Amino acid sequence: MSTVDPVTPVLTKRWLSPRSWSIQTYEQLEGYTALRKALTATPEQIVQVVKDSGLRGRGGAGFPSGLKWSFMPPNEDKPHYLVINADEGEPGTCKDIPLMMADPHSLIEGCVIASYAMRSHHCFIYVRGEVLHCIRRLNAAVKEAKAAGYLGENILGSGYDLEITVHAGAGAYICGEETALLDSLEGRRGQPRLKPPFPAAAGLYAAPTTVNNVETIASVPYIINGGSDWFRRMGTEKSPGPKIYSISGHVERPGQYEAPLGTTLRQLLEMAGGMKDGIPLKFWTPGGSSTPMFTAEHLDVPLDFEGAAEAGSMLGTTAVQVFNETVSVPWAVMKWTQFYKHESCGKCTPCREGTYWLVQILERMVDGNGTEEDIDTLLDVCDNVLGRSFCALGDGAVSPIQSGIKYFRDEFLALCQKNREKNRKPAMAGAN
Amino acid sequence: MGFLDPVKGFGVTFGMMFKKVATEKYPEVKKVTAPRYHGRHQLNRHPDGLEKCVGCELCAWACPADAIFVEGGNNTDEERYSPGERYGADYQINYLRCIGCGLCIEACPTRSLTMTNEYELANDNRQVLIFTKEDLLAPLLPGMEAPPHPMRLGETEQDYYVNGPELAKRAQEEAK
Amino acid sequence: MTVAPEKNELVVPEGHVKLVIDGIEVVAPKGELLIRTAERMGITIPRFCDHPLLDPAGACRQCLVEVEMGGRPMPKPQASCTITVADGMVVKTQVTSPVADKAQQGVMELLLINHPLDCPICDKGGECPLQNQALAHGRTDSRFVDRKRTFAKPIPISTQVLLDRERCVLCQRCTRFSAQIAGDPFIELLERGAQQQIGIAEEKPFQSYFSGNTIQICPVGALTSAAYRFRSRPFDLVSTPGVCEHCSSGCAERTDWRRGKVMRKLAANDPEVNEEWICDKGRFAFRYTGAADRVLRPMVRDKATGELKQASWTEALQVAAEALTKARGSAGVLTGGRLTLEDAYAYSKFARVALGTNDIDFRARPHSREEQEFLASTVVGTTPETGVTFTGIEAAPTVLCVAFEPEEEAPIVFLRLRKAARKGRTKVFHIGQWTSPAVEKTFGTLLATPPGGEAAAVDALSSHAPDVTEGLGKPGSVILVGERAAQVPGLFSALLRLSEQTGARIAWIPRRAGERGAVEVGALPTLLPGGRLVADAAARAEVEQAWGLEPGSLPDVPGRDTNGIIEAAANGELRALVVGGVDPYDLPDPQLALKALRTADFVLSLELRHSAVTEFADVVLPIAPSVEKAGTFLNWEGRRREFGTTLDGTGALPDCRVLDTLAVEMDADLFTQTPTAAAGDLARLGTTSTARAAAPTVESRQQSLPQSDGQALLATWRQLLDNGSLQEEEPHLAGTARRVVARLSEHTAEVLGVDKAETVRVSTDRGSVTVPFEYADLPDGVVWLPGNSGDVRVRRELGALHGSPVNVHPGGTE
Repeated sequence: MSTVDPVTPVLTKRWLSPRSWSIQTYEQLEGYTALRKALTATPEQIVQVVKDSGLRGRGGAGFPSGLKWSFMPPNEDKPHYLVINADEGEPGTCKDIPLMMADPHSLIEGCVIASYAMRSHHCFIYVRGEVLHCIRRLNAAVKEAKAAGYLGENILGSGYDLEITVHAGAGAYICGEETALLDSLEGRRGQPRLKPPFPAAAGLYAAPTTVNNVETIASVPYIINGGSDWFRRMGTEKSPGPKIYSISGHVERPGQYEAPLGTTLRQLLEMAGGMKDGIPLKFWTPGGSSTPMFTAEHLDVPLDFEGAAEAGSMLGTTAVQVFNETVSVPWAVMKWTQFYKHESCGKCTPCREGTYWLVQILERMVDGNGTEEDIDTLLDVCDNVLGRSFCALGDGAVSPIQSGIKYFRDEFLALCQKNREKNRKPAMAGAN
Repeated sequence: MGFLDPVKGFGVTFGMMFKKVATEKYPEVKKVTAPRYHGRHQLNRHPDGLEKCVGCELCAWACPADAIFVEGGNNTDEERYSPGERYGADYQINYLRCIGCGLCIEACPTRSLTMTNEYELANDNRQVLIFTKEDLLAPLLPGMEAPPHPMRLGETEQDYYVNGPELAKRAQEEAK
Repeated sequence: MTVAPEKNELVVPEGHVKLVIDGIEVVAPKGELLIRTAERMGITIPRFCDHPLLDPAGACRQCLVEVEMGGRPMPKPQASCTITVADGMVVKTQVTSPVADKAQQGVMELLLINHPLDCPICDKGGECPLQNQALAHGRTDSRFVDRKRTFAKPIPISTQVLLDRERCVLCQRCTRFSAQIAGDPFIELLERGAQQQIGIAEEKPFQSYFSGNTIQICPVGALTSAAYRFRSRPFDLVSTPGVCEHCSSGCAERTDWRRGKVMRKLAANDPEVNEEWICDKGRFAFRYTGAADRVLRPMVRDKATGELKQASWTEALQVAAEALTKARGSAGVLTGGRLTLEDAYAYSKFARVALGTNDIDFRARPHSREEQEFLASTVVGTTPETGVTFTGIEAAPTVLCVAFEPEEEAPIVFLRLRKAARKGRTKVFHIGQWTSPAVEKTFGTLLATPPGGEAAAVDALSSHAPDVTEGLGKPGSVILVGERAAQVPGLFSALLRLSEQTGARIAWIPRRAGERGAVEVGALPTLLPGGRLVADAAARAEVEQAWGLEPGSLPDVPGRDTNGIIEAAANGELRALVVGGVDPYDLPDPQLALKALRTADFVLSLELRHSAVTEFADVVLPIAPSVEKAGTFLNWEGRRREFGTTLDGTGALPDCRVLDTLAVEMDADLFTQTPTAAAGDLARLGTTSTARAAAPTVESRQQSLPQSDGQALLATWRQLLDNGSLQEEEPHLAGTARRVVARLSEHTAEVLGVDKAETVRVSTDRGSVTVPFEYADLPDGVVWLPGNSGDVRVRRELGALHGSPVNVHPGGTE
């Protein structure tokens, strides 16, 4: 495993081309060829190809995309909708926005193919509101595609119609949860909905809806062009395909690195030029702050859905945040928890009140005012939040704390030690 | 019958003359009770004169003899009797029923209701023995002001409950 | 798994599933929520956000249980309020599962970290689900030593609802109730995370007729009532079941009182009638009984001074008996629409037996002969078994509301209509003048007509709106008609024709609680108790026999109706009037009514409070309000709504008792000494096989719009919260009444030249009212006014009816 064998880039292959976001560049580099191919096939055939390719959702949960698409009802009693979840808000995650910035047409092409496969005639791209530049670029791309006949009525003479609406969210992390996203898209308060009914039965405007991640949909044109067997040649048996790894933190060259699923951090670090200034690695997250952290002993864990899960974490969004030994774990955990407290939507008790409490304990600890009992309280509160909350936000919120204490309990204890000495009670009451 | 028998009786009397008498000279001399004697109730005040009673009725709830009646009232900024939202608008203890058990003062969440050592609670008029708020309120001490008046010891009721005595002390020092 | 089937294995009926809860096998209907199944078995799973009549939310997470499906345990505990039962499910609640128990305890602890230690001053203290549950399942000490989240408190979200955001556990019951049940989504969640809170939009208070229900279903003390604020504690309250005395729905209520004073009213649960809801009028309007002008002692007018002065019962009854005996055969009885069945029966019998007259009418409002015929032919004798019911409305495929404003006149009927329409099964049509809130909230379709043109509109339905007649043709469809119909000639006849044509059943929904009962006991000039006709000798004979009267002693000539009695008294034909609870300003012609009261030789008033009638009365006899007596209301369905005395020993006497004693003084026996005796006497009359009244056949006519300049047709009905005398003494409730405005279409405003003005002045030859106006989708040439709100008292100031022409000018000009 000493030498890295970087695959030929797939998803990011156009990113470094001049004006990569323009339709001209896109068309020059095989753009919209997959769409032409797809429109000659039946929707069922496309779903089958995607199923065969083994493509799994890139938004974090890794649900097989082809299977998800096949849940859409075969009839068209109600309008069908495809919604692209581009509300990228997880701390550390930064793959979708660069993708949409550098190569928006790959997403649009994917949208058309996926919508065609699901008999949808309206596709929404829900983009996080803060990334204004990206929204502009997407809108321009939609306009270009429409002018070129890849969108709108009677696409490429196939008789198939599709509209794409780019919708700017208002910057709430919870709207990355698919049902909260749908509520927000409908103009309501962004809070997760009760499931069932699942979106495939009653999603946007109570019509059958599929919500997919940007990267998932952007992978589709390549699958159509390359075929499922080609796609399966990359990655691992159960997690095939290429993946964009977003490496941030204490590395020499942070950025987006495309690699097949199953690449290890050791390989990724080599690609990113190693640890910054040679300071050793202390801990890292495999897929954003909601995934339990890893330490230096996990350098060789294959980063695919199974590998990460086996090692006690999750692949998440492959947002690899790397921290060196200068970083205090309780401090980092506190910062993450502050994020979750700020972003908790407030619908359910465990997440709303749990994050409120956890932050206060952690802040107290980092200030040196914690006690050993506080560590137990932290873990117990985490236990009362994990799996008890309405959606996965609560689960994500406690994983840094639980994993942080699991691997670095000593650091938490050290903070308490200071406090214990400071507040040591005199042996006899009133003797001071 | 023995010879000394008639005198024996005098012996008892004589002996008693040198013992401490049990008779009390009440009401000329009033007996000092034990410090925690359950006497007449008192509704206490905060150091600035506002009432401690919040009209919660917990004393009435606790009372096994159903001797207490309370009805709460709403404090307004214009007319304030206690810190916070609620005060005891109507407070009555029926001493015909009270058994002096003290459960009411245990129930009181603000230590408004305490018991004094006053035990002279007899009367020939039943009506008078229903004590109302006016009868039960503690007398105004120096520095106290009869409510209604605004909160003098802080912005919120928290200031009264957490730092009440200290604030009062500070206010007194400032006044000097 | 046992190999051989057990002998007494549970049989699973169709549409049911079998599951195991805490080791006990149970059969549950498909789609039932787990929390309900468990509850039926007696396993109470703690909950805050769950409410059986609201859509599930799953917000509080208090009801977590362990669930195993198909032999595989679900990885996380599940909220039992959102998960439906399934075949083969194995459920472990907190009783058997340490995981569920820990989860519930954890949620309880989290709920409490930001909950203030307010219990001593909180109105919910003592009946608070959070308090109870914390006591039963919570920790004894708190691990939370940090800062609690604080908010300013309490904030009024309307004049009668106060919101304490610190106490709120964000279960969303109130917001879901307002959005789903009432259709008034004026409260919503704001902000997020720990700062999430309930709130209202700026300057848009929580103006809902049903807002009191949110106070009742709030599982903590976050929503409290301004009227009940700090008044008492549950341990010191006596709760008495009761029936609402306001509208004809007959809602089940719980009256909480102490020391002889009603402290509050709550909705009781009656799935057949009001479910768990009541309107704010029913909840808050009860202070009128304690008004300063309450009549507590009998009063007799002093001949010398002309003033009323207190008298003994003996004296007052003697004076009254003497005068009435003298006027026997020339006395009329006006009973008003708010009497209990027993009291109305006593009036009915008193008129026939003691006064020897059929001049009795309960209708203290505009009425017609056609209405009388309709009541006698179609309404009397209907029961929930034979007629339309609340549940019938809920199941109806089509409902047509004619001259009936459900939200204003019978709010609980409105809630049923909305519930039915919200499920998408029931289509609601309204024949009215504008798209009122009730039309919108029942997802209804408005068929607009000019006021007075409703009858013609009904006749034209099959040609103009065939979808309505087609819908009404589906079995179970219902036509609801309100008291306003009496002001539209031909409407009842047209509706009967429509009913015959389509098969839809008609229900008459009056506005007042006592009207339906008054029909039943014959407080009408043509009807004897039980729908017997005055004109029918056989019917009279039945009544004479039951009452123990000489054959032929009952008066055989149908009497005068309210208008007739008023006219006859005003021109001296009637010498005496017996008036029970009538406001002359409710009558079609208040001026004539006052003249009648002035002219009559003798006026006996049975009243609760001093009124326009007692001003003229020669004798005033105090009677008991509904909380101080027992009785029965017959609701619009014909359902008996019996209630007992709430406040005992106040000395106030029910009307039936007063009339009984008075009759004895007049040498007649009513046998209505107590409500029970009156009810027994009424029951002895039994059912009848004598002839029923014929249905009215009045031609409908087209309403023509006024031609002259500055004129418009008046549409008017009363609003739920208005100047009604039973709502007095309750300022918090009055604050949530709807804004008093006139309504007209933009075109009409232009034509009438009022579009530039801020107010309109509506006038008749009697008088005028000036009022701000709003645009609404009324037909052209029509102006709408609330019947009796604020300064707009249509009958009193204008003497006008629904459908009358009125003059409309910009405010302030002639």
